[in-house]
Amino acid sequence: MGRRLHGRGALFETDPAGLAPRLVGLRPHQHRVTPYEHPREPPLVVLSGARGLGKTAVLAELRESYKGHTPVGLIDCEDPEFAAPPTGRPAEAWSPVSQALLVLAEQLAEQVTGAGRIQFPRLMSGLVAVAAGGWGDADSERIRREVQRILLLNESGSWVGGFAGRWAGRVAAKVVAAATGTGPLLSAAVEATLESLSEGFAGRRHQRASAWYRDYPNAGDNARRGLILLSGHFRAGGTSREHAERHLVRALRADLTDAYTGVLPRMKRLGRPLVLLDNAHTAPGPGLIEAVLRDRTEGVGDQVVFFAAVRGNGRPALRNATRRALPELARSSDWTPEPGSASSRALVVSLPPLSGDDTLHIVGADPTVPPQLPQAAHRLTGGNPLGITLVAEAAAQHPTEASSLGELLTADLRVHPEHDGRPAYLELLDRLVPPDRLDELTVLAAAHDHDSACALARALLPEHFGPADVRALGERLTTEGLPAVPGQFVGDPFVRTLLLLRLHHRDTDHGQWRKAHETLVDHYADPADEQVRYRLHHELALGSADSAVAYLRDSFTTLPAREWLAALRFVASAPYFHAHDADGRDHCGSEDRRTAVALGRTDAGHEPPEGADAALHLRVRRLLHAVWQLTDPLTLPDRTVGQRLRFELEQLSNLRPAGNALLWRASRDWPEDALAGREPHIPDEGEGEA
Amino acid sequence: MARTGVWTWLREDVWEIPLRRYLALLVTAALVVGGWFGVGALAREDRSCAPGVERPEGSEECVGVSTSAYDFDRPQLREVIRAIDRENRSLKPGSYVTVALLEPFTASDPDNLGDVLHEMQGAYLAQYRANHESNRKSPAIRLVLANPGATGAHWEFTVDRLEEMTKSPDRLRAVTGVGMSTENNKRAVKELTKRGIPVIGSSITADNLANGQGGKDPFPGLARVSPTNTDEARALTSFADVTAGRALLVYDKPGDPYTRTLQKSFMKLLAGSPYEPQPFTPPTDRSEEGTTANTFWQIASLVCGTAPETDTILFAGRHTQLRQFINELGNRSCQHRKFTVLTGDEASYLTGDKELDRSALTHKLSVRYTALAHPDAWAEDGAKSGGSAADAAELAELVATAARRPVGPIGEVSLEDGQLIIAYDAMRLAVTGIQRATSKGRMVPRLADVGLQWPQVKGPLRVYGASGWICLDAHGNPYDKAVPIVELTPEGKARFVKIAWPEEKPPAKECLPPS
Repeated sequence: MGRRLHGRGALFETDPAGLAPRLVGLRPHQHRVTPYEHPREPPLVVLSGARGLGKTAVLAELRESYKGHTPVGLIDCEDPEFAAPPTGRPAEAWSPVSQALLVLAEQLAEQVTGAGRIQFPRLMSGLVAVAAGGWGDADSERIRREVQRILLLNESGSWVGGFAGRWAGRVAAKVVAAATGTGPLLSAAVEATLESLSEGFAGRRHQRASAWYRDYPNAGDNARRGLILLSGHFRAGGTSREHAERHLVRALRADLTDAYTGVLPRMKRLGRPLVLLDNAHTAPGPGLIEAVLRDRTEGVGDQVVFFAAVRGNGRPALRNATRRALPELARSSDWTPEPGSASSRALVVSLPPLSGDDTLHIVGADPTVPPQLPQAAHRLTGGNPLGITLVAEAAAQHPTEASSLGELLTADLRVHPEHDGRPAYLELLDRLVPPDRLDELTVLAAAHDHDSACALARALLPEHFGPADVRALGERLTTEGLPAVPGQFVGDPFVRTLLLLRLHHRDTDHGQWRKAHETLVDHYADPADEQVRYRLHHELALGSADSAVAYLRDSFTTLPAREWLAALRFVASAPYFHAHDADGRDHCGSEDRRTAVALGRTDAGHEPPEGADAALHLRVRRLLHAVWQLTDPLTLPDRTVGQRLRFELEQLSNLRPAGNALLWRASRDWPEDALAGREPHIPDEGEGEA
Repeated sequence: MARTGVWTWLREDVWEIPLRRYLALLVTAALVVGGWFGVGALAREDRSCAPGVERPEGSEECVGVSTSAYDFDRPQLREVIRAIDRENRSLKPGSYVTVALLEPFTASDPDNLGDVLHEMQGAYLAQYRANHESNRKSPAIRLVLANPGATGAHWEFTVDRLEEMTKSPDRLRAVTGVGMSTENNKRAVKELTKRGIPVIGSSITADNLANGQGGKDPFPGLARVSPTNTDEARALTSFADVTAGRALLVYDKPGDPYTRTLQKSFMKLLAGSPYEPQPFTPPTDRSEEGTTANTFWQIASLVCGTAPETDTILFAGRHTQLRQFINELGNRSCQHRKFTVLTGDEASYLTGDKELDRSALTHKLSVRYTALAHPDAWAEDGAKSGGSAADAAELAELVATAARRPVGPIGEVSLEDGQLIIAYDAMRLAVTGIQRATSKGRMVPRLADVGLQWPQVKGPLRVYGASGWICLDAHGNPYDKAVPIVELTPEGKARFVKIAWPEEKPPAKECLPPS
C-alpha cells in the first residue's frame, strides 16, 4: 500500500469512509465499492492552505489510491507545459486550458481494472478544430505531429489496438491532406475529422459523438459549422475564448459521461472518474474550475470528481463555496449547492497542520532520535507537514546532530539520492515562500509591522523596493494563506524562523543579520516609546542582554505582573545563534551560552551595575536566559534549565506579593509548556488565584 | 500470502465488477452442470466395455451386442472376431442387414469357449460366402456378436439391445446360434420370437425349444438346423439295438430341456427295464464341476452290480457330468466287462476336453453319441439322398482358404465337433431366409417377412447344408435330418461310425415332410 499520509484520515479512511471514497465511490487502493455521499452530483473539492501543508502530497496520494481502479488525471498547473505554447505553435490556437484538457484526457484514457480505454471523440474533434486554427502557415510535418497526438485520444486500445493505431495514422494523413490542400483549410480539417468518426467500424457511440457539436450556439444543427464556430471563438481570444474553452471542458465531461453510459459500461466500471488539479490558482486551473462550476449550475451535469489544490483560501472566486476544515468531513461533508450560485457547487477544504501525535509518528519513527525531538520539531514547524517530513529526513541523515534543530536545519540534506545536498532550511524556504520574493522576505522577516519593514527595506533592500512593495508583499503573504499576526511582518513562526536563519547565514560575517537588527534597534530607539521591548528583543538577538536585564529588573516592581511576564516572554523570543561573543561574533564550538548563564555558572564573573539590587539583577538575568533557551524553537529544551526556571519564578513570586499568584502559576506552567513544545502561557488573573 | 492474493483478486477484480461477476457465475454454473454430467458420464463410461457392450449393475461380465472388434477378453476368439469386423467394415452403409450370433462369448470353461469359437467360425464363413458369392443376391450380411453372459443370465439386456437394432440403421433381421438348450436361452428365444425377431437355432436340440411339440408353436419364427432330441434319440435307437433288459439309464435331475428330452426318449426305449434309472443332481451352471463325481462313483459301482448281459448305459446329461461319469467308469471295479455309453450330441464337447481320462476308453468302454454333424459323414457318397459329399466339400474348401487373408485367419479350426458345420448351415439358412424375404427392387427385407420363409424351405427350395439337407417342416424343424453316430476315441477324437436317420431311412429325393 506504500507510505500513508499522516493526519489525513478524514480524506482516505475506509471505515467510516472518508471524503475521497465517498465521492469516488471506491475504497482507496482497493477495487471495492463504497456508497456515494452525493449520488446525483459530487461537489468540486478545493483543497486550500498555505505552502507546505501537503496539498500536493494529498493529490499524489489520491492518484496512487485510485490509479488502475478508476480513470485518474493529475496535472500541475504550474508546470511549464501550461505556461506557454510549444515552439512553432501560434498563441491564437493554444491555451493553457486546451493543453490541460489534452494532458488530462491522455491520462484519463488509460484502462482500469475491468474496463478498457476511454475514448474522447468529442474532445478530439474540438481540439483538432482549435489546432487547425493555427495551421495557416504550418508545414505538413507539424500538422501531422499535432493532429496525431490529438487523434490518439480516440484510440480504443482493445484487441483491435493495432487496428486503431493505424486508424489514427490514416485519419491523420487524411486531415493533413485536407489541411494542406487547396480550399478552406479549417473546414476541410474539421470535415475529415468528423468523417473519420462516422466511417468504418464506428458504432452508435461515435455517431452520437460526431453529432455533438450540432448543439453549439448558432451551429444550426450542423456539427461541422459548430466546430468552425468553436475554432473561431477560440482564436478571437477574450471572453469568446473562455466560451470556447468552456465547450471544450464540456466535451471532455461529455466523453467521460458517455463512457459510463449504457448497460455494458455500467457493468464494467466502478466509481467515478477523478480529475486532480494541483496549484489550481494559476492558469489553467481557474478556467477549468469555473467552466465546470458554471456548467453544473446551468444543469449540464456530470459525475466527474474534481479535487483542486489552491494556495491561500480560495477567495474571492469561490465566494459562496461551502467551507470546511478537513476534520469536519470525516463522516459527512454537509454540502448542499444553492441553485444559481456557481461557486456554491465547490467545497473548500482547508488542510490543518498536523497534530503533535502525527509529528511523533513521523519524527519518532526512527527510535534513535532524542526523545524531545518530536515535540521540538512540532514546536518549530507548528505542524507544517513539509517541515516535519524534512526534519525527520534530516534527523535520519544526520543522527549525530539531532540534538539541535538549528544544526539539523543548517546541515546538508539530500532530498534526491542523485542530487547534492543543500542546507535543509534552504530546501524548505524554496517550497514555503514565493521564490521570487525570497531575498526581500529574508530581510523583512525581522520586522514587526509596516513601519519597521520599511525601515529595513530602506537600509538593506535595493532602492526601488519602496513602501508600496512592502505593502504588496504583506498582502501577498496573506493571499497565499500565511496567517497575519499583529507584531510580526511574517506571521507564520516557522517560516519566520527559517527566514531569520537564512538572514543569519547569508554572509560569513553575518553582516546583513547584524545590520538588520541594528536598523531595528535604531528604529525603536526612542526610550519613551511603548515599543521599547522591540529594541530589547533585537539587542538580545545581537547578543547583548544587558539592557534587557536592566529593563526587566527595573520594571519588575513597577509593571503589573501579567505585563511583565509578557515583556519577558517577548524579549526572550529573540532569535539566538550560538557562540556569539559579547560583540556578536562567532565563537568556535557549539556550546549554548544561555544554559550556563541560566544555571548561574557565570554569575561570579558578571558584575551587576552599581546602585542596582544585585540579587534581583542576577536573578532576572538568569531568568531571561532560561526563558530564552527554553522557548528557542531551534534548540531542544533543557530539562535542568526548566527546573531552574521554575525555581527562579518561584523566588520572584515571593518578592512580589501583589503578583504572587500569577508568578507562582507561571513557575508551574512555563517549564511544562516549554518541555512540551508549547508557547509559554501567560496566566490570567483568575487563573493565578486558583 | 498467496491465498489472500487470490482472495483479494476474486473479491476485487471479479466479484466487485458486475460484468465479471455474472460471467464468473455463469462459468461456475456451467462448470458445475458440466461436472455433474461429466461425472455421471464417467460413471456410466466406467461400465462400458466396448461399443454396445457393457457390464450391467452387479455384474463384471461384458454383455450386450458387440459391433466392433472387441474380443470379450478371450484371446482365443480374437482372430475370428477381427476377421468378422474386417468383413463388416468392408460393407457399404445402407447396403446390408445384420444377423446376430447369440452365444455365451464370456464363457470361461475351455469346452464351451471352443464351442463358441467353432460356431463363430462357421457363421463367419457362411457370412463371407454370402457376401462374396459370384451371383450374390442383395442384401449384404453383417454379423454381430450377441452375448447374454456365460450362463445366459443377462439375456433380457441383450434381447433389448437386439430389438433396438431391428429399428436402427443396423437393420437386424435374424438371430442365429443360441447354443445350448438352457432355460435362459429358452427364455431368450421365447422373448426374441415374441418380439418378431426370427431365430435360427444351430445346435439347440431340446424338444421343448422347438415348435410343433404337442401341436403348438410357442416360438413363431424359430427355425432349427439340428434334429430335436427326440429325433436324435430315435436315430440313436434305430442305430443301436437296445432292449430294456440290457440297458441302464443315468439322468440329470431336475435337468434342463436338453437332458429331459433325452431322458424321455430313453425312457420309452427302456419301458420294463429291471433297473431303476439313476439320477444325479449337478450344479445350476452345468459347466461347473460340483460334487456329482461322488454320485458317479456310486453309479459306477452299481453298474458293476448289474447282470452280465447288461452292456449299454444310456446317459441323459450335460458334457461336464458325462466326462465325470466316464472318468469314474474308467475306474470301475468290473474292468473285464464291456460297456457302451450312448448319449446325445453333448458328448461332442469331450473331443477337446483335457480333463477327460482317455485311458478309460481303452478299458472295454466305448462312448457313442449322436453328433450334430461330422466332417467324415459324407466322405463317401454312400447315401443316395439326405446330403452329399459335394455340399460338405464346399465348406471344406472354404475352411482351407480361411487359413490366410483375405478370408482368414480365423484361429484354430476343428470340424470334428460339428459345431462349425452346424453353425455354418444355420447361418446359410438365415441368409436364405433373408434373401427370399427381400422382394424385388428392394434392398432390405421387412423383419416380419424373414420368419415367414421357413415353412417353404423344403423340396426344391431346401438348403443343401454341409451337414445334410435341411428340409423344414411346417414348424421350422428339420425333417429326417442326417444324424451322424460317432465314437469317442482314446485320442480324444470323434470317430465317425455311421449315419443314422430319425425316420430309420434317408428322406426321399423330393424331401417333402409328410403331413
